[in-house]
Amino acid sequence: MAEVEETLKRIEAHKGVIGTIVVNAEGIPIRTNLDNSTAVQYAGLLRHLTMLARSTVRDIDPQNDLIVLRIRTKKYEIMVAPENGFLLIVIQNPCE
Amino acid sequence: MSSHAEKMKNASLTPNSSFRALNNSGSGIHQIGRSSRHPRNLAGSQSRKNSNSKLNCLDKGDQSHTRRAVRVLDEDGIDVTPLVLYHADTGDTQSKQGMLFLEEIFSSSGLDHSQSTSSVNVCSSSSFQGSSRLSNLSNKASLTKESEDSISKLDIPIRPRAPYAELPRKRDHVKQHVTEEMLDEVVDILLIETDTISLLDIPSTIVSEDADDVETIKERNIRYAELCKNRMGNDKFIVRSMQSFGGAPKNKQIQSDEIVTVDKGTTATTWDIYDSFHNQNKTTESEFTYPESNLNGSKIQEKRGETSSSSTVGTSSTISSLLEKDTCGDSSKAEPDPQRILQSDSFQHSLLVMERTIVANILQPKLSAYRQLPVQEDCDRTAKPQTKKQCEEDKMSCLTPAIEHLWAFGCELTKGCSITSMAWNKKNPDLLAVGYGDIDPRNQKAGIICCWSIKNPLWPERIFYCHSCVTSLDFSANNPGQLAVGMFDGTVALYNVPCPDDRACIASSRESSEKHLHPVWQVTWIKQEMRSSGEERAEALVSVSADGRITKWFLCSNGLESIDLMMLRRVQNTKMEAPRSKKTTANDLSMVTPGLCVDFHPIDSSIYLVGTWEGLIHKCSVSNSQHFLETYEKHFCPVNHVEWSPFCPNVFLSCSSDWTIQLWKQGLCAPVLTFTSTQRAVYTVRWSPIHSAVFAAINGRQVEIWDLNTRILYPTIVHHAAPDVKITALLFATGTDCILVGDSDGQATVYELKNLSVGEGKQVDSLEDIIQSAVSKNVM
Repeated sequence: MAEVEETLKRIEAHKGVIGTIVVNAEGIPIRTNLDNSTAVQYAGLLRHLTMLARSTVRDIDPQNDLIVLRIRTKKYEIMVAPENGFLLIVIQNPCE
Repeated sequence: MSSHAEKMKNASLTPNSSFRALNNSGSGIHQIGRSSRHPRNLAGSQSRKNSNSKLNCLDKGDQSHTRRAVRVLDEDGIDVTPLVLYHADTGDTQSKQGMLFLEEIFSSSGLDHSQSTSSVNVCSSSSFQGSSRLSNLSNKASLTKESEDSISKLDIPIRPRAPYAELPRKRDHVKQHVTEEMLDEVVDILLIETDTISLLDIPSTIVSEDADDVETIKERNIRYAELCKNRMGNDKFIVRSMQSFGGAPKNKQIQSDEIVTVDKGTTATTWDIYDSFHNQNKTTESEFTYPESNLNGSKIQEKRGETSSSSTVGTSSTISSLLEKDTCGDSSKAEPDPQRILQSDSFQHSLLVMERTIVANILQPKLSAYRQLPVQEDCDRTAKPQTKKQCEEDKMSCLTPAIEHLWAFGCELTKGCSITSMAWNKKNPDLLAVGYGDIDPRNQKAGIICCWSIKNPLWPERIFYCHSCVTSLDFSANNPGQLAVGMFDGTVALYNVPCPDDRACIASSRESSEKHLHPVWQVTWIKQEMRSSGEERAEALVSVSADGRITKWFLCSNGLESIDLMMLRRVQNTKMEAPRSKKTTANDLSMVTPGLCVDFHPIDSSIYLVGTWEGLIHKCSVSNSQHFLETYEKHFCPVNHVEWSPFCPNVFLSCSSDWTIQLWKQGLCAPVLTFTSTQRAVYTVRWSPIHSAVFAAINGRQVEIWDLNTRILYPTIVHHAAPDVKITALLFATGTDCILVGDSDGQATVYELKNLSVGEGKQVDSLEDIIQSAVSKNVM
């Protein structure tokens, strides 16, 4: 447990990381360092997109699975790692 | 009457075919039809009694409540009685009908059944058009007669009224109170397969060639063909038209309950199908163990177990994780606890992946330079305005050989610890093991081993704490997860790197009786001779220690077992040796010199070189543990490192604290080339795995890259360390043109070698040429 906390803190402390969100199966952020409304917004929007991406990957080859979905935007990069029911979302701005 | 009957028969002949069809279908109706004929005689007599005397009673018209047993005989006397379609219950006709004018007609007969039949008659006469032209309602007598006839004709007792007659009675039945017990009781519904109902059977008119009666059929076909041909002008055949009676169509309307349709849709994606099939197999496997678990819960848990098992090794752990997850799944609530999410293995895996992704983002240009990918300018980055001078300088410096700083492996844990050794993993070239420790004997701290991955240079993948300072590391080639560690207090240990925690140390020579008493300066894995052609070569661990022993270690059930390969005896002047040798044996410690480095021949693994404290390099053989094969004397200070060339099998390099690097050729007693650049002890020298004539050396304050193709006297690239930092370890990276430099601050820095000019010819040849020229020069 402590390891997980430590790793999460380390991730948050990396250069350029704006925020991290851990979302549970219902789409509710359970751990985040952004404000709640932003976190809820990210969680809701990214859930569907991740499910769609995952469905696409698995449709092509059912034995394959999605590991990370990265959306590079003008201002920053959103990285989503879906796992069984939950999402780990990290927003990073690597240019800073 | 008979004529009537005749006409009627004729009339009724045409519907025969359809009735025949009915006859064929469903044996049930047939039965009823037959059984109805039996009480005919009785009923016939009854009808005689009841009906008017005027009526000529034919022996037909069963006015009993159920059937009229009418028999229809055609010309040949064949019974072609059509069968009844509808069989009403016996209680049907007992109900009263309310047809007033019929009551008048049948005032004499006050029986219910006659009324019912008459009502039927009326309706039937309207519907049964075949009989309508025969019926004549004007005449009472004829009416009855007609009614009789039509009654007799009424083979199909179509009774539209009957259902209505039925209803009051049926309602009584339906009003039965449905009790709750009746709802709960288990109703057995027995489904029986009926006999096959053929609705259509058209036998084929095609016969196979292999059939038995092919000949006759063929003959018939031929005869028929001839007949057709002959038919045209033949007198025997006349073309004539005929008329047949058309069947009388009848309209029937029915009403049914509305069929309720429900639309249901689902998307069967490929992965959905795959998953359900997969889970079905899995649940059948695990069903016998978890019969009572909630299916939903168990499915989720199984999925978790599956995903977590992908990261563990071995099937036994899969089963145990399924067990764990399922037992706690039974008692858990529907919502998964956030804590459980955070602790699950899959979350940790996600974290790992995410961290690597983030770091890759940060260090992207450096990592791509390492991987020798073309570095692209990130167009979204705001580029700092460069002055013109800088641009020019950059262009100039592009051509000279230089090393470029890429990144450094380091974190807070290792800050301040001096790096003593580094080793690449043999199977996964992205994994690096770094040993930290302080070689100062006065200041004995615990040693640390960190396993780093190129993909995350900011935090090590594994951290192991050792009881003593780490002096040497080597990964095994046969078991890529095993790391051999040599320590300052003489311990040789084996670590299993995939284990993340303290159980990683699988063997240690700490308790062994034959352990080294002095620091182990080098450990290395060697491949032993092949037993048979197909077998993988077994590996053994060899350690060199300051107590003068070269030991080969084996991993047994209770730790490490060792065999001494060689005792490094001191080779001194014979004058000094003679008086002493009588008193002491060769194994006496004072006669033994510390070994500092060992290197096994890359091709012939039974030959190895040892560098000693005395400055001598001995070539030894595994099979001979008493004598050295050859001794190379040139250094007069401890030989710090000796290494065979990966390209030329007879060439090796040695470096020593006497500020020199010597290039030797096997067989020649004197070194071929000597390299000196500074007046400092050279700690390590390494051949480049890519360029045959390039090697690197460190001497405490700087890193030197020597390129023998360009210059022999001076190093091609010299890189100075930061002022407070001493450089302590050196390693070439495999597959890419980079070197790894470890310093006393705990940082392992990766530098890229740029613009090293590689000779045109083959690698081996270039080195050989150099050596040849050097040898010839020496000779001269």
